[in-house]
Amino acid sequence: MPDLASAATNAPVTGDVPASGVDPALAGFIYLEARLADEARYSEWEALWDDDALYWVPMGPGHDPRVNLSYIYDNRRRIRSRIAQLNSGNRHSQTPPSVIRRVISNLEVVARDVDTTTIASNFALFEYRFDLIVWAGRYAHRIRTRGGDLKLVSKTVHLVNAGGPVSTMSFLI
Amino acid sequence: MTELDTRPPRAVDVPALVKPDRVHGSVYTSQEIYDLEMTRIFREGWVFVAHESEVPEPGDYITRRIGGEPWIVARGRDGVVRVLANRCTHRGNRLCNADAGNSSSFRCPYHGWTFSNDGTLTGVPMRNGYGEQFDAVLNGLGLKPAAAVDSYRGFVFACLSTPPKTLLEHLGRATTAMDRLLALSPTGELDLRAGWMKHDMPCNWKMVMENNVDGYHALFTHASVYDAVKPAKVSHIPSKVEVWVRDLGDGHSEIDYSPEYTRLDEEFVWFGRIRREKLPRYVAAMEEAYGPEDTHRAFVVGPPHTLIFPNLFLAEMNIMMVEPMGPGRSIAYTTPALIPGADELNEKMLRRAEGAMGPAGFLIADDGEIGARNQLGLAGPAPEWVVLSRGTESDLNDATGIVNHDKSAETPQRGWWRHWASVLAGQASAGSDSDDKGAVHA
Ligand code: FES
Ligand SMILES: [Fe+2]
Repeated sequence: MPDLASAATNAPVTGDVPASGVDPALAGFIYLEARLADEARYSEWEALWDDDALYWVPMGPGHDPRVNLSYIYDNRRRIRSRIAQLNSGNRHSQTPPSVIRRVISNLEVVARDVDTTTIASNFALFEYRFDLIVWAGRYAHRIRTRGGDLKLVSKTVHLVNAGGPVSTMSFLI
Repeated sequence: MTELDTRPPRAVDVPALVKPDRVHGSVYTSQEIYDLEMTRIFREGWVFVAHESEVPEPGDYITRRIGGEPWIVARGRDGVVRVLANRCTHRGNRLCNADAGNSSSFRCPYHGWTFSNDGTLTGVPMRNGYGEQFDAVLNGLGLKPAAAVDSYRGFVFACLSTPPKTLLEHLGRATTAMDRLLALSPTGELDLRAGWMKHDMPCNWKMVMENNVDGYHALFTHASVYDAVKPAKVSHIPSKVEVWVRDLGDGHSEIDYSPEYTRLDEEFVWFGRIRREKLPRYVAAMEEAYGPEDTHRAFVVGPPHTLIFPNLFLAEMNIMMVEPMGPGRSIAYTTPALIPGADELNEKMLRRAEGAMGPAGFLIADDGEIGARNQLGLAGPAPEWVVLSRGTESDLNDATGIVNHDKSAETPQRGWWRHWASVLAGQASAGSDSDDKGAVHA
């Protein structure tokens, strides 16, 4: 996923890509994804994903998942497992779920092909569990449009503190 | 200031804290005990610092903390791996500020003193300012090395002050666990360069270590995995499996799955029951190196699940090291034990490590949560004791240590605490602690 990785870091946006103007429907999809994650609506969140899904939280910019360990590198099947675990009621690190709200900003279209659009953004996430923990970073959402339907193909999360140490992160980031 | 405030810290009465079947709750919460641990365990004893594969080439270095102190692990031009205090000998600036890199020298950004990566002070700007005294002042101002550095099959350990015993004496029977891991590598080597997850856990470091060899908790702490995601590799119900726990002596201990795997005589039960046909190059390299019988045996018995006192855990195909950050905070570092040349296996190992380990792992995230709640529970002073008596009557003494055929026995924890007490009381520095070799105490 090198293209996606650079899209979500500080690499300059190159190529035939509009500098601004995120389709409100795509922005709305990103906000919906965030709200379902914030509110621990696990199954609804899972339903946003397409079959060729990738939910990736690397441990550093420019990492290659074939040789670098990631915090999360979930394909569709592992997303299903993650959600099943959260839904079990026995995922102790999310029982009860952390109270979460996140703010997403600076949306930019960074890549586009026939049916998918990649949108990079910044986020700040506030997690209240034992204490208030602040998470921040850069997202890249790759969203597929098929007819009137939107599906999440990939979500990459570049944490500002990817170098660690990192607190328990078993909520949907 | 009151009289009380100015008194010197209370001496820790170590023997009063540890009984054969229980330990005082304050061992997890007391600042005095923590300070004593940093001295006796982390500064006066052997600790794991790095793996040789992290600094494969001359000039390679990484930075680490040991007992809160900053250190550089660097491979010199002569190929020797050194452990050097990461502190400029001029006025104390942290010298090297990267996690890792390659450099033949380190230049302090404060006043420009330069040190070779073997620790020698090689450059002092504006030396005239020291006048005639230059040599006298600067003599002996090389970077301070750890008092002892030694390695066992690629695992590098250091002792920051004069070691009370050799590394091999410290490791005791735990070398068998490293051998067991390396029996899975056709070259006898590992590659620990996939990156360390650094998991910040609000609990005492000993809870993280002890929990790694707790065969009792899985059914409960990890019920969400086994019920909702996938069944365990072998049952966690002790009566259904030949999974043993073992106190290896010297603080080392393990959960030994090999009796069960041997009984099943099935390869890779420990690796998702992968078929060897999926790993043709790796299997060929193993058979070339060790022959078909030993290869089959290695694939059956699998990797170790072994804690090496005080800070290393051979977590099957992962390596974990734990760094204490205060009585109530630890960082668990985890990386997969990749096998050089075994690409078919290594990418799967990365995905398995992400699945199980670290801050978002299906297993360790919940272990961390339980650790945090344990720390919160122990904030209450009563009852005074934490109970570790499970299996005392069924412990067996043999040449491998104290073994219990019930995987849920607290035999590993009893071994940990017996050794911990002897180290904290200063007994372990009097040479090989022969009374700590794991005899069953009546
Ligand atoms: S403190 Fe390093 S050169 Fe002065
Ligand atoms: Fe566990």
